[in-house]
Amino acid sequence: MRLGDIGQIALVVAFALAAYGLVSAALGGVHRRPEMVASARGAGYGVALLVSVASLVLLAALLTKDFTLRYVYENTSRDAPLDVTLSGFWGGQAGSLLFWAWALALLGAVVLAVEFRSYRALMPGFLGTLFAIQIFFLAVLAFVSSPFQQHPAALPDGRGLNPLLWDDGMRIHPPLLLAGYMSFSVPFAFAMAALLSGRLRREWLQPVRRWMLVAWGIQGAGLLAGAWWAYHVLGWGGYWGWDPVENVALLPWLTATAFLHSVMAQERRGLFKVWNLGLVIASFALAIFGTFVVRSGVLASVHSFAQSTVGPVFFAFLGVTLVAALCLLFYRLPQLPPEGHLDSVASREASFLLNNFLLLSIAAATFWGTIFPLVSELTRGAKVTVGGPFYQQVNGPLALGLLVLMGLGPLLAWRRTSLMALWRNVRWPLAAGLLVGIVLFALGVQRGLAALAFAAAAFTLGSIGLEFWRGVRARRAMTGEPRPVALWHLVARARRRYGGYLVHLSMVLIAFGVIGSSFYQTEHVVTFRKGETHSVGRYTFTYQGMAEHVEPGVVAIVAPLSAADGATALGTLAPERRIHRNWEQQPVSGVAYQTTLPWLEDIYVILSGWGDDGSATFRIYINPLVSLIWLGGAVFLLGTLIAAWPAAARPRASVLRPAPQEVLVAEA
Amino acid sequence: MLKRSLLALLLVLFAAAATPVSADGHLERQALEIGKQLRCPVCQNLSVADSSSQLAEQMRELIRKRLEAGESREQIIAYFVERYGEEILLDPPRQGFSQLVWWGALLIPLVGVVLVVVVVRDRLRQREAEAPAVAFFSEEERQRYESILAQEIEQAERTRLW
Ligand code: HEM
Repeated sequence: MRLGDIGQIALVVAFALAAYGLVSAALGGVHRRPEMVASARGAGYGVALLVSVASLVLLAALLTKDFTLRYVYENTSRDAPLDVTLSGFWGGQAGSLLFWAWALALLGAVVLAVEFRSYRALMPGFLGTLFAIQIFFLAVLAFVSSPFQQHPAALPDGRGLNPLLWDDGMRIHPPLLLAGYMSFSVPFAFAMAALLSGRLRREWLQPVRRWMLVAWGIQGAGLLAGAWWAYHVLGWGGYWGWDPVENVALLPWLTATAFLHSVMAQERRGLFKVWNLGLVIASFALAIFGTFVVRSGVLASVHSFAQSTVGPVFFAFLGVTLVAALCLLFYRLPQLPPEGHLDSVASREASFLLNNFLLLSIAAATFWGTIFPLVSELTRGAKVTVGGPFYQQVNGPLALGLLVLMGLGPLLAWRRTSLMALWRNVRWPLAAGLLVGIVLFALGVQRGLAALAFAAAAFTLGSIGLEFWRGVRARRAMTGEPRPVALWHLVARARRRYGGYLVHLSMVLIAFGVIGSSFYQTEHVVTFRKGETHSVGRYTFTYQGMAEHVEPGVVAIVAPLSAADGATALGTLAPERRIHRNWEQQPVSGVAYQTTLPWLEDIYVILSGWGDDGSATFRIYINPLVSLIWLGGAVFLLGTLIAAWPAAARPRASVLRPAPQEVLVAEA
Repeated sequence: MLKRSLLALLLVLFAAAATPVSADGHLERQALEIGKQLRCPVCQNLSVADSSSQLAEQMRELIRKRLEAGESREQIIAYFVERYGEEILLDPPRQGFSQLVWWGALLIPLVGVVLVVVVVRDRLRQREAEAPAVAFFSEEERQRYESILAQEIEQAERTRLW
């Protein structure tokens, strides 16, 4: 028996076990037989084990370069270094699906271990939904597009991985997105469990919110890693190209962001119940759509879709899931009445409504733009391209609205806010925004729109700062702690709130970066002879001559430029062109970049060509504020971790602060 | 030895494709502008100006040649549309079938706004319908009561934090 056979057998057995688990969970739920549900839980762990075996087999085959497997042949080669070989795991269709299924099996096992006891009543529905998803993926893997397909005889060497996928970013970006897509299954399964069991009170909210936050955080990290990859590897001076792959990855993140907010109105006030369930269903459906849209080739053209092995199967699955989930939701409608009503437009819950409207508008417009080429091809046979300018013009104003609202919403109280209170809260952030707008305008930021956008970001920054400042002040008044300690305790005591505000802060930082670079990026194409010096904007560059490096499977041509800002030397920027064996038609540019202080500008250099006379042509971008996007990314991760951190079982409020007398009495 | 000659071959091949850029800055800027509006046919949604692929490189060269020959920006774009189809335009034209993408993008937020307004008015009206229950308050008393309530809610929210 060969290695590949073991992997294939593990997949088939995992499929059968998942089918058993589904039946067992369903019967256990319907006939109220706890031992059957427990057996289904065991099957969940079993599936995790078997899919792990299959995945480890594929990894072993890649590492030992077992070219009897077609997948290994297509995704690595003998001279590929270790890390590139590992990326081959998710470099192709079958492998990426196996990764998806593996991650879901493992996450499912973790969720079972953590939540089984706390949510017994939801478990039959949860397990059943999770198994149904697993069954589909395992069936595709085992019977339609298997990574363990074999060649009759081993081939001498593999074709190798696409060179764009060689970069470090490839180690982190695709697996994060696949893991993000996959993890939307968990909140979806809890929501389905609530609908199936009819337990639609508060019980299901906590696990759904917790796991939605996890999925949303992973997806957000994946999007940021993708932006990082585009900027540092693809070499076109930008970080977000609005290409279909990026767009579809953004969609479930947007609907999940909407959910994280509107669910607060349900927790507090019992509002928007049906809407929230709809958002969970939509997020999952969009995650499946995102996983598959790329693989199915449907966006490239209708013809490649018809030829793809997995496309039609996937869309069938998506259709069935949506119909089933929506029917179930419709059936339970009578059990989901709102428990209250809106009291005022100037209230927290109304601001969440507006937040949802903006987020969903961005999602819908992005979806429409992404599928429009397909619509055009189907209706009149001619394809069109919907590129960056469309999305910028449509989503730009909506995002600006979101930015302002992000500063306003947290200042509003639940139920209603009097105008006086609103004014008291809003005046300082407003002053900050106005000040920044006016100062920028006076300093020569003549583009009104740019000044407006910066002012909006400053307003929201002020509002977030105010929230933190007030919290710290209130805590100091009570405990007399020094400021940093007070801040630490403040965040630790109300993780969800201040984690959320940190995420808001990260969005403001990213907004600054996006505004700065989209309005003020400059691009220069300069040809240097050896030893020549040219100046670009504030900076001067001297070309030092070209050199070649030969690495296994790769030839790199390096052309170093030494940069200076006035009299200050900035060091050497060494952009390259890398030519990979078997992929000579697709040279990859190695970007050189440096962030300058105090301007926070990125000097971003690409080697675009050279002549016989030893001259070289460079494309030099000056990108203002882009580094704030990566700083924002770090804050995003921090904030998400804080918000998602499980709360301590019991608040320890009375340890540090003597509680008011009445409370002590009540507790005694 | 073999590696050396391979490298030499690659360099020659590649240098041929990577023609040095003309010194005329104005022309170059114009060529970039046009390149920004065209999609690189072998990339995902990258413009001809931004892409580093060989095809994009050749297209940029072609744009330059045509500019030097005195063609206008519109003529050059029309030439590419004729050769590659409308798909080559990165921004869908605002006429013919393609304007639907713009109308759709306008319609989506509008429908959203209408929905939000309908929901809000509906929910606010419900509140009014229930209002008679507290009608024995005078308007003044009601306002006082509500401001106290708002304060209490705010208070409760703050104490929940610690
Ligand atoms: C892209 C934009 C946004 C992102 C990524 C974002 C993200 C988040 C996250 C992750 C949380 C924590 C949720 C939780 O722990 O359950 C949060 C809380 C919150 N967000 Fe946002 N948000 C965004 C926009 C907005 C907008 C437009 C508003 C205005 C209505 C808003 C208002 C709030 C409020 C009031 C909280 C609750 C803080 C608390 O617990 O008191 N957010 N946000």
